[in-house]
Amino acid sequence: MAFLTAAALTSALLLVQSPRASEYQVKAVFLFNFAQFVDWRSTPAQDPRAPLIIGILGDDPFGTILDATVRGEHLGERPFEIRRLRQMRDIEACNILFISRSENERVEQILAAVQNRPVLTVSDGDDFAERGGMIQFVNDKNRIRLRINLEAAQAANLAISSKLLRVAEIVSTPKH
Amino acid sequence: MAIRDWPIKRKLTAILLLISGLVLVLTSAAFVTYQVVTFRQTMRNNLATRAQILAANSTAALAFANEADAREILAALKADPHMVAAALYGQDGHVVATYPARPPADLLPPTPQPDGYRFEHGYLVGFAPVAQGANQRLGTLYIASDTKAVADALRLSGIIAIVVLAIAMLAAYAMAAALQGRISEPILALAQTATAASTRQDYSVRAPKFGADELGTLTDAFNQMLGRIEEQKKELQQHAMKLEQRVAERTAELERRAVELQAANSELDAFAYSVSHDLRAPLRSIDGFSQVLLEDYGAQLDEAGRDSLQRVRAATQRMATLIDDLLKLARVSRAEMRTERVDLSGMARDVVADIQRTTPDRQVEFAIAPGLEAEGDARLLRVVLDNLLRNGWKYTGKQPQPRVEFTAVDENGDRVFVIKDNGAGFDMKYANKLFGVFQRLHSTAEFEGTGVGLATVRRIINRHGGRIWAEGVVDQGATFYFTL
Repeated sequence: MAFLTAAALTSALLLVQSPRASEYQVKAVFLFNFAQFVDWRSTPAQDPRAPLIIGILGDDPFGTILDATVRGEHLGERPFEIRRLRQMRDIEACNILFISRSENERVEQILAAVQNRPVLTVSDGDDFAERGGMIQFVNDKNRIRLRINLEAAQAANLAISSKLLRVAEIVSTPKH
Repeated sequence: MAIRDWPIKRKLTAILLLISGLVLVLTSAAFVTYQVVTFRQTMRNNLATRAQILAANSTAALAFANEADAREILAALKADPHMVAAALYGQDGHVVATYPARPPADLLPPTPQPDGYRFEHGYLVGFAPVAQGANQRLGTLYIASDTKAVADALRLSGIIAIVVLAIAMLAAYAMAAALQGRISEPILALAQTATAASTRQDYSVRAPKFGADELGTLTDAFNQMLGRIEEQKKELQQHAMKLEQRVAERTAELERRAVELQAANSELDAFAYSVSHDLRAPLRSIDGFSQVLLEDYGAQLDEAGRDSLQRVRAATQRMATLIDDLLKLARVSRAEMRTERVDLSGMARDVVADIQRTTPDRQVEFAIAPGLEAEGDARLLRVVLDNLLRNGWKYTGKQPQPRVEFTAVDENGDRVFVIKDNGAGFDMKYANKLFGVFQRLHSTAEFEGTGVGLATVRRIINRHGGRIWAEGVVDQGATFYFTL
């Protein structure tokens, strides 16, 4: 499985030559990896084979990369499913919600919609974590770093692995 | 010194040391082997545990490509100086982070190898998968440890084994030296006692008993044997003493008797000598006056008177001969002995010549063996030969072919001289009377003689410490045997 993923990754890298494409290549893998370090099990019992849904809200920067990354992969017995969302009401069904930069203006609105629901919110928008998002991608010297708003995750009853926290910067929503 | 000649103490100690040494060496070898094997296993397990912990900790670092975090995780190995190298490989096999920052090239495989732990080129290396839970593999952890710890463990085990061995051998030696005595001491005591008994002939010694084991039994048996020997020796000594006493008593008695006899003999000899001597004077008077009477007054006597006088004279001469013989016998007893080598053959030829000169009318054949010699007094031995040869000559008087032999035979290592004739002989029942004084087996009329000659001969032979005896058959001769 690791081999297949590696092969897919390599082919994706070959297809997308631009740095931007390479950036989303990494982000796609990170999105996929988040599933392994976040625990949704506190949510009410569900079908163990129900697909793990990664939703993309707004303009899709991944193209086919994310689909290629999760293709054939499972978390336990759960397969991955990518959904590109048009309407706000669809976001509640997601386990991981990637909010595109295009939605930067209405992030608070989107977050309010999934508040206290077990949806891992991820975005590479500016100050996403401070604004109440859970995980923010940050570009740092050609590397992608993570910022995590632990309070937001805890409020949504999601358990983020301490190992993930180790490699991330913890931030919190400023109090007014 | 050959081992079999070692003292029993050393043998026992050596055997005990050998056995305990062997056991200890085998035990120590087993201990060291066990230590090393266990240690290697433990080391491998420890490395596996450490690798799994590191792998579990590095999942996020690999998942989110955080090299700094990966390095930080690996840097925790600093605490253990035996950890010489480590690395994290990403999913595609490239090196994400290493420990130390620049590990020696030979300790950093460029790509991950199959999972597992193995000892390679003096290092223990391991590859472990990095995965979050049961999910997909995120990469590979490589870790390498030097095996100095194994060598250290081996050295420590070796030192412990050697120290234990040395202490145990010392203890074993001390114990052996202390305990071997229980076996060797009774044996040594026995050996000492036996040596004392055999060298000093002292059978009163006893071996000390140390216990009721087989050695105790041996000691008891040995002591009993000594006791019996002692008793027997005492008895033997008593017997010997009694015997000596008896011999001494007998000897004393015999000596006393010999002295008495000697005295009596001397007295008798002296008496006989003086009597014989004193008898000669009156006898000479009788003979002399008888002769005067016969010469001067013979014409006045008739035939019967002259015959009587002749008889008186014959009897007188006969008596003179008798007295001479008796004096000779006495002299034989009293004469000093001068022992020398005597040529008996030559002496016998002299005697024969003498006989033939005085009686040339008789032809007797004398056969004298040459070279007969003996130790003795020449004068006395001459008397012996003279008597015996003259006897032979005399008693063959009625033989048509008289013959006398003088020879010698060796019998039981003794030289026995033989004088044999073919004359009148004698009846063997009178053999014991032959050598008595005045004992005669024939009448004077038949054969002349005083009956003193053989008595004289026997006395001479006796004085030489020899024996004389005779064999004979009537009319077939007599044989005289004597030793000197």
